[in-house]
Amino acid sequence: MDPSSSSSAQSVTFYDFLDRMRNPASLDLVRSIKSFIVSFSFYTANPENDGKRVQEFYLTMEGAIRDHPLWVGATEEEIDSALEGLEKYVMTKLFSRTFSSTPEDVKIDQEIYEKICLLQTFLRPEHLDIPVVLQNEASWLLAEKELQKMNTVKAPREKLLCIMNCCRVISNLLLNASMSENMVLAGADDFLPVLIYVMIKASSPCLNYQKKFIDLDTWKSILANPPQLHSNLKFIQLYRRQTKLVSEAAYYFTNLVSAKTFVVDLNAKSLSIEEIEFEENMQAARLANKVPQVEVSSSSNDFKALGDVRGPGPSGRIHGDGIHTSGGYNYPFMEAEADDLTVGDVERLLRVYKDVVSKYTSLCRSVRHISLTKTVPSIPGSEGKNVLLTCPTEKSTSIDEKREDDRGSEKGLPGSPGPPGTANDDLEKGLPGSPRSANDDVQKESARS
Amino acid sequence: MGCSGSLPDRNSGRLSGINGSESSGAPDAKNLRVKLVLLGDSGVGKSCIVLRFVRGQFDPTSKVTVGASFLSQTIALQDSTTVKFEIWDTAGQERYAALAPLYYRGAAVAVIVYDITSPESFNKAQYWVKELQKHGSPDIVMALVGNKADLHENREVPTQDGIEYAEKNGMFFIETSAKTADNINQLFEEIAKRLPRPSSTS
Repeated sequence: MDPSSSSSAQSVTFYDFLDRMRNPASLDLVRSIKSFIVSFSFYTANPENDGKRVQEFYLTMEGAIRDHPLWVGATEEEIDSALEGLEKYVMTKLFSRTFSSTPEDVKIDQEIYEKICLLQTFLRPEHLDIPVVLQNEASWLLAEKELQKMNTVKAPREKLLCIMNCCRVISNLLLNASMSENMVLAGADDFLPVLIYVMIKASSPCLNYQKKFIDLDTWKSILANPPQLHSNLKFIQLYRRQTKLVSEAAYYFTNLVSAKTFVVDLNAKSLSIEEIEFEENMQAARLANKVPQVEVSSSSNDFKALGDVRGPGPSGRIHGDGIHTSGGYNYPFMEAEADDLTVGDVERLLRVYKDVVSKYTSLCRSVRHISLTKTVPSIPGSEGKNVLLTCPTEKSTSIDEKREDDRGSEKGLPGSPGPPGTANDDLEKGLPGSPRSANDDVQKESARS
Repeated sequence: MGCSGSLPDRNSGRLSGINGSESSGAPDAKNLRVKLVLLGDSGVGKSCIVLRFVRGQFDPTSKVTVGASFLSQTIALQDSTTVKFEIWDTAGQERYAALAPLYYRGAAVAVIVYDITSPESFNKAQYWVKELQKHGSPDIVMALVGNKADLHENREVPTQDGIEYAEKNGMFFIETSAKTADNINQLFEEIAKRLPRPSSTS
């Protein structure tokens, strides 16, 4: 961590740690830390071993700090915050070496991400039997945002904090619903399904960018690092101080592991959905999710880079080369506003429209051929939309409107790291720093590099 | 279902922690910290039992956490030891059954709950007992709990069945009512008594 980033007032505790480390009296500690970090470059990455070594180092350093002249008479809290500082410092330095460090991890992340992108095109709360009183978009969005922050912080404590904040939002939703809606509290029976749903929504940046819920820089950083659920969980498990991954933190952590496991193993039987409907939805999502093969003629160059990681965002452009027969053809107007169009575009627009309609019609025929279930839309849309995605589009529009609202309200609370007036306050007090401040650090750091 | 009467008020969870001693610091022979996992079909009232228990304790020095699915509560026993229960609720629906090992791993106590008006939930309870015998930690303390004892008119699982099954499997058995609070404290006190104590030399 660059010392010049110490201007951030929000991570006082961490900078307190850095200050102490700059004190000449702590030279011995600094040497130990530096040589430990350097020692990592002598070996190839091995997550289990690395985790063990880091945990042992935390313990060794705890002993050293407790006996150290700089911490004479220090309270348990002060010792603890020094150790939190140590964890953050060491793991930020070792981040690229330890986070998602093996090809297997990268592969698992990608697989989970792809599955979530498929699911998110059609999954509804009813499929997980989530009671209507718990379908609270505002709460869910807060929970999603908390979880998404996990990808923007590096220290294990801060990642874990994001999970806890997310889970506490959901927990509060359940408690509040059981009080005001006169609904019997069902505990984990309700908690886990909501968490699963929130996790799926939070891991779908394809949807979020479309409606400008996140800004371009964040979007780019997500693309550089699509939500690495597996790697994040593994990182916390291995590198969070073990004495801290207990009790409530461990419970919520376990729930997210559990939600991830559920998604990995998810099939039609895992959901309240007809098997045939599930398979059709998955198949449709797969078709829509095909990588665009041709240049994207959108005004924004950024989208070129997005192509291969974009999921089937409901209003995403549909490039499925599995669907079209002519190839070398795409739908350049999906990002366009009416004002952008010129008379010269009409010819092309008409061509694309005809193409879409004919493909849609033939797709409908094949789907109907597979089965005669209710999922087949009756009339082709006249706007050249992929009709298979119509339902999710409508639904997500309403979500995204809420997102905008949510964003609006966030402006009123600058620097607020979580939902106002919730358990977060409690959490923040107990633990130094906040995801927000760490976030800033990381961003500063990456801006500098 | 009937636990709406035992919900915590909004602030009960946080207030009592103010002057509370941090009991999670160093567990020793006098102050145990115990992970307790709740298993059982959905709708048998697992969370109601726990809410009732957590709310029923009024020791102002104990630190309480009341979440919707994670709760912690410390009880003081007569031998002047304390036990802090960290209670992990699990989702009871069939589709989540495969995830249970993630939760009961490392648990010192498993409380397996069924509904005395539902033979199906009693079968499910037996399934959990067998699963824990196979995959749980060998010294786990297990309790079998027949909940909703207040609904005796609709009883379909005779008390004797519960007693016999528990005896056969070396478990503690009790029937409770989260609604009337019957036997709720007894359940947790009995569990606390049965916990293996670390030797005082350690």
